[in-house]
Amino acid sequence: MQSAPLPETLANLLELDPNSTVVMIVLSLAGAGLIGTLMMTNTALAGPWAKRKITAAFTDRIAVDRIGPYGLFIIVADAVRLLSKELIVPEGVDRPAWDLAPLIIASTALLGFAVIPMGNGIHLADPEVGLAYVFAVASTTSIGLVMAGYASNNKYSFLGGLRAVAQNLAYEIPLILTGASVVIFAGSLQMSEIVAAQQQSLIGPLPSWYAFVNPFAFVLFMIANLAEVGRNPFDIPEAPTEIVAGYQTEYSSVYFVLIYLGEFIHIFLGGAIIATIFLGGPAGPVLPGIVWFLIKIWGVFLFTQWARSAVPRVRIDQLIEIGWKGMLVLSLANLLLTAVIVGVTV
Amino acid sequence: MSLEKPSRDTALDVGVTEDGLDYDALADLLGGHVLDREEHVNAEGFVIRPDEVQEVLSTLKEEAGFDHCACVTAQEYDDRYESIYHLRKFDDPTQELSIVVPSPKDDPHNESAARVYDTADWHEREAYDLVGIDYDDHPDLRRILLPETWQGHPLSQDYNQDQPQIVSLREHANPLEDDKRSEDDPDTMFVNIGPHHPATHGVLHVETVLDGEQIADLEPDIGYLHRCEEQMCQQGTYRHQIMPYPDRWDYISAGILNEWAYARAAEDLADIDVPEYAQVIRTMSAEMCRIASHELALATFALDVFGDFTAVFQYGIRDREIVQNLLEDLTGQRLMFNYLRLGGVAWDLPEPREEYFEKIRDFLDDLPHKLEEVHDLVTGNEIFQMRCVDTGVLSKEQVKQYGATGPVARGSGVDYDLRRDDPYGYYDELDWNVVTEEGGDNFSRVLVRLREVEESARIIEQCVDLLEQWPEDDREIQANVPRTLRPDPDKEIYRSVEGAKGELGIYIRSDGTDKPARFKIRSPCFSNLQTLPEMSQGEYIPDMIASLGSLDIVLGEVDR
Repeated sequence: MQSAPLPETLANLLELDPNSTVVMIVLSLAGAGLIGTLMMTNTALAGPWAKRKITAAFTDRIAVDRIGPYGLFIIVADAVRLLSKELIVPEGVDRPAWDLAPLIIASTALLGFAVIPMGNGIHLADPEVGLAYVFAVASTTSIGLVMAGYASNNKYSFLGGLRAVAQNLAYEIPLILTGASVVIFAGSLQMSEIVAAQQQSLIGPLPSWYAFVNPFAFVLFMIANLAEVGRNPFDIPEAPTEIVAGYQTEYSSVYFVLIYLGEFIHIFLGGAIIATIFLGGPAGPVLPGIVWFLIKIWGVFLFTQWARSAVPRVRIDQLIEIGWKGMLVLSLANLLLTAVIVGVTV
Repeated sequence: MSLEKPSRDTALDVGVTEDGLDYDALADLLGGHVLDREEHVNAEGFVIRPDEVQEVLSTLKEEAGFDHCACVTAQEYDDRYESIYHLRKFDDPTQELSIVVPSPKDDPHNESAARVYDTADWHEREAYDLVGIDYDDHPDLRRILLPETWQGHPLSQDYNQDQPQIVSLREHANPLEDDKRSEDDPDTMFVNIGPHHPATHGVLHVETVLDGEQIADLEPDIGYLHRCEEQMCQQGTYRHQIMPYPDRWDYISAGILNEWAYARAAEDLADIDVPEYAQVIRTMSAEMCRIASHELALATFALDVFGDFTAVFQYGIRDREIVQNLLEDLTGQRLMFNYLRLGGVAWDLPEPREEYFEKIRDFLDDLPHKLEEVHDLVTGNEIFQMRCVDTGVLSKEQVKQYGATGPVARGSGVDYDLRRDDPYGYYDELDWNVVTEEGGDNFSRVLVRLREVEESARIIEQCVDLLEQWPEDDREIQANVPRTLRPDPDKEIYRSVEGAKGELGIYIRSDGTDKPARFKIRSPCFSNLQTLPEMSQGEYIPDMIASLGSLDIVLGEVDR
């Protein structure tokens, strides 16, 4: 299972010298481009098309079906439409913070995929602090949100930015603590190690995925992840009916696309983390690893869309309360319990 | 309601007799304040001095039990201005009394009633805005429907319609203006919610002062959808030209309920009897409108609380669509029905009748299952309960003070439904219940609407049974009404029906011509919206949005 990171694989494939720095830099960039393109393709499929179709299925509608098979070409049409819109820069925005925010939101989420093992050798880097790195870059998105909210010179954006920070503070900690409980199981922060640790059989054909080993942690992580990616019941920073669109109120055209894209990549990154640390990464029978990996992250995406369609939004103070008084306590308890159990048994 | 009565102070029942109000006893109560007594069609009008309004009204409220100031009508005569306070009782709205306050032509002003009834605040502002009467001691006498810079008062006699009106941008609250920071609380932020905002269900502007995320102060600013409905009705003839307008007040599928408000007032004014068969059809179609309207109210409320066009919204729309189709079969229209006529309805049920009945029955059969689904998805959801229970609380006392009616009042435990308390149509022959909830919060208001849908379904079912068995030679859909209707001069009437949102009342004064001399609409949404600041003070923005959704206002009816 343990395979070399993508640049090395590429070097071997192209018969180039894996010890040359120049070759490795070029191939790393090529690998990053490959993974980035893969995730962007998923996002492009999810944003304009799958999201519509999924929501439509939940709400007894048909959604796009005029352009191309199953309306798939709407992706092209939407891309053209969104990119050709006028970029409106409101008076009094704080540049360049206002311009940088969409870039940060979109790019930070993408960076996280660097350490995710996607199977079939698609794994850009495998540092020993892999999981910590993913959490770190995923949290960086909050900076983008605050920048967007603060720089927009709009009170709704401002409120949205503040809400985003409050929400992320309340949920990052349980998220990371729950992730840490997996680290205790696996004994490593390295992504490939975590995946490898989930390969044995738990009972019969059931693999020892951490979702099966510790379902409680899995549920906690799924909930915290919903808050992390800002989907119902925790889509409070955007809350269309309350604060218009929160931090993204003033963004249009390409900037809007970037923020929108960032959100979807973020959902997929959340899915990738869940797949890696709870669902055995790319593991699965018959089909190749990458396919299983994509199925898993799309499964998480489907879950977020389901929650969005069916669950009401909680209020900001209720969310903080759930985060600090409920989730934090539960995740700490989970961490301690895991530590004790692992300490006793190993 | 009946449970409360025994404990009541008998003094509150001044003038109440077996066969209606004894106005002499009421006049005795007021003593020298009553200068003159007028005969209106719905009640007697006591003429009082303009500087004794507060005294008279508080006497009537506290000693005679007139706790509901339904409407304030202002109008200008050739020799005077006049404000009419239409009073009635929440316990028995058939006990009505009009307080007529004349004021001089050259300097029209009278004492404000806002200190006695909170609801008079907005009603008097509207009277000031459109007719031009000044109300002394009013807490905040500003224009309400028209912009602050408007010149003249459009419903007064000397109003110059050709005068150019300039409404500068400066007159509107500037969204970029500096935050309003009051001396005692420097950390507040001013936010304009609306007129363009995803949650205002139309063009409502809520001027909000926030303290963090909490509402420190809030004021609804209305008038963006003011279309001079009252004046348009004054320019139409009774017989045909007015009926299309009511559809445009509460334009969200409540059309027939609105039409009925006008039909009822005009028919009582002109002594027209409606054939029973037509009354049954009216009752049935009106309840269909109520279902459609409540379904949409639920859908949009879900939109506010769930946060997006989610499943509940679509389910609400989907179910409403079926009622909408039934109404389309009946009236030929989907929203602007124009189906009622004075003295009846436009035409009989669509042929073949059996097929139509079958369609209605199918709808009624499916309804319990669909409501079950909604209860599973919405009212049974813990997060929904977390959001809605005990938020936006409106007490019984506040409901009465603000003259809130309809599901808003019944959600606060005020047992007030004109279909039962002031019967019209065929309602008193049918078996159904008035739904109330005691909570007074957003959740109660949603529950009331959902349960009212069930009751409406019961009414429709009974109507269908009746219509099915109705003898073929007795299907009279229209009474004999003269082609041109000229009610006797100087008759005045205030009549109301239970619209989808509450008490929808119409005041008409005739002057012997075929057009009304004054046509005043008492909009339930207008009164209900006034309670928003009370409900949201100190709450979070999301709760304010939810409260606004649970009030279920339609701006077309608020602004008219």
